[in-house]
Amino acid sequence: MSCGNPTVESDALMPRRKKYDKTRQCVRCKLSTGNVVIRYAVYCKECFFPLITHKFRRSLEPSVNERPQGPRRTALKPAGNLLVGFSGGLGSTVLLDLVHRCYVSMDQSTMPSDGGKQHPRHEKIWKRVSVCYVEIAGAFPGMQDSSPDVETLIAQHDGVDLISLRIQDAFDPAWWQRVAGRPALSDLDFDLTTEGTSPLTLLLSYPYGRHTELHLIFNPSSSSTPLEKLQAYLASLPTATAVHSTIQNLIRLLLLHTALQTQSSHLVLGTSLTSLAMSLISGVSQGRGFNLKEEMQEEWVPSVPDPAEDVSSITTRRRYVRVIRPLRDVGRKECTLWTWWTGLRVVAAVRPPWVGARQDIGTLTHDFITGLERDYPSTVSTIVRTCAKVAPKGEVSGLCLLCARPVQHGIQEWKSRISIRTRDVPDAGEQSSAQVPAPLAPHLCYACHTTLTSKSSRPPPALYPEISRSSVAPAPVWVLSFMTDREMFQTSRMNEQDQRNTLKDFLLED
Amino acid sequence: MGSQSIPTVSVKVEFGGGLELLFANQRTHRVALLARLPSPASGTAGPSNDGQSDVAVAAAAAGRPADVAYLIHWLRDNLLTERPELFVEGETVRPGILVLVNDTDWELEGEGDYVLKEGDEIVFISTLHGG
Repeated sequence: MSCGNPTVESDALMPRRKKYDKTRQCVRCKLSTGNVVIRYAVYCKECFFPLITHKFRRSLEPSVNERPQGPRRTALKPAGNLLVGFSGGLGSTVLLDLVHRCYVSMDQSTMPSDGGKQHPRHEKIWKRVSVCYVEIAGAFPGMQDSSPDVETLIAQHDGVDLISLRIQDAFDPAWWQRVAGRPALSDLDFDLTTEGTSPLTLLLSYPYGRHTELHLIFNPSSSSTPLEKLQAYLASLPTATAVHSTIQNLIRLLLLHTALQTQSSHLVLGTSLTSLAMSLISGVSQGRGFNLKEEMQEEWVPSVPDPAEDVSSITTRRRYVRVIRPLRDVGRKECTLWTWWTGLRVVAAVRPPWVGARQDIGTLTHDFITGLERDYPSTVSTIVRTCAKVAPKGEVSGLCLLCARPVQHGIQEWKSRISIRTRDVPDAGEQSSAQVPAPLAPHLCYACHTTLTSKSSRPPPALYPEISRSSVAPAPVWVLSFMTDREMFQTSRMNEQDQRNTLKDFLLED
Repeated sequence: MGSQSIPTVSVKVEFGGGLELLFANQRTHRVALLARLPSPASGTAGPSNDGQSDVAVAAAAAGRPADVAYLIHWLRDNLLTERPELFVEGETVRPGILVLVNDTDWELEGEGDYVLKEGDEIVFISTLHGG
């Protein structure tokens, strides 16, 4: 009996599985010889484009109407406009091209053949299609600003307008005023602005000294620019993974608020099947398992009032932003072929020039899934299909202040049960009789809390060598609005001296 | 005895998706390879690497026809200007690089075993752009 040693017996090796099922004929038209293999199925070039277009429409159009379509398909009438989140990457480029062909230029080759040419589905669905790009070069010293290339690319697409943001806008009160229609501080009815003083800013205070929890505190704002505040925030993060996921969250919130500003009911993102598998796995690794469904598709109901809303109106339209990923069934290979065969150029394909960017969970997951996609292509779609079936247990306890996603009830109790910690209880005499901002931890999801507090045994190289890590960092501008929505503060009118006495313990000296 | 011309196979190689940056920022190249690599002369102690990869040496030793696997290593040894680990991993292209042979997925053509013919167009596209 042989031992099956392949070194000795050449036929002991298991034959390598063919990369495609059956024959080289296209499985769709069954006429032409195939040009591409997509997860073991063979397609010719002529069938490739309608296939991808059909997947795109199938993923987006059932979510267009406010109420889901029944068995009988009706006309598509969205509640608002369409915002395309554009990163300049591969998926975004394909998404923009598909959106433009299907809904702006009305490319006939993308139209469904059923229903006839006069069918209402051949009319323009969206009154306004906008594209929002968030430049992240400010977060990484030495990274090239791709905004000019993006502007040139978008200008080639008639009928869409570009809103170009910078990631530091998340710390810019002027941007918040444009989106929300009023300054953030007026929400709290604090009025400390007198001549010679400046409005307060909200700071995130890390555990230090006798304070073992995250807190939010107020500080007279210095003359820091939004870019400086962004860099201080990122410099305060404990791990490279935290930097990567924080940037993703900031981009997401910027896009959501831009959708509100453009009266958009739908925000589409160019996440491909491959990218989605990466984000799901890396999200679960960081504690985002409770928000798996939201990672694929979510509906965000804003707490920010609509500046354009007529408050005297009796009936107010429910505002929402649906975040859809229409390319979630389209792999990275298909996206690449789409850009190659249509001659599209991908403008922003550069990785941040920070060594720490290669050490985070996101990058490790990216490399793992990339290898899987080559050797076992079906596993990538299995990841996404499995995550779509998973329903996390637990109740929702509000939305996270940082990422605006559902917070799982009982996180802090669970953490205290599984961890050993000492807690210094401050003397009763130390507590001020004035109102104290609530601790931050109960208002964060598990993943955001871990992002801010989880330490690495091998800290990454400093993102900004000239900025030392501080125990306080500015909070994004929307945090204050989210806090007032939950009545985390009682508001009452105080005279100026009482206000200063109340806050003197929280004020930092410049 | 008259000299015989050595048969070569001339192919067009294109790079996309940022890979051209590794090849002198030039997207299109014309490459001429030996159509069938000669076996080493008898009496030699053994194949001499001369900086060539194991695949190239094995191909030369076996007298194999030039295939895509050999082309990959030839490109790495002769045209690549930097960061070889971004193009080749082991005996094939790095994961995330899509290869087209005459506008067809190389998985349909036998991947690295596809034997090159005169005038073939081989395209290497990096898919690592992000979503």
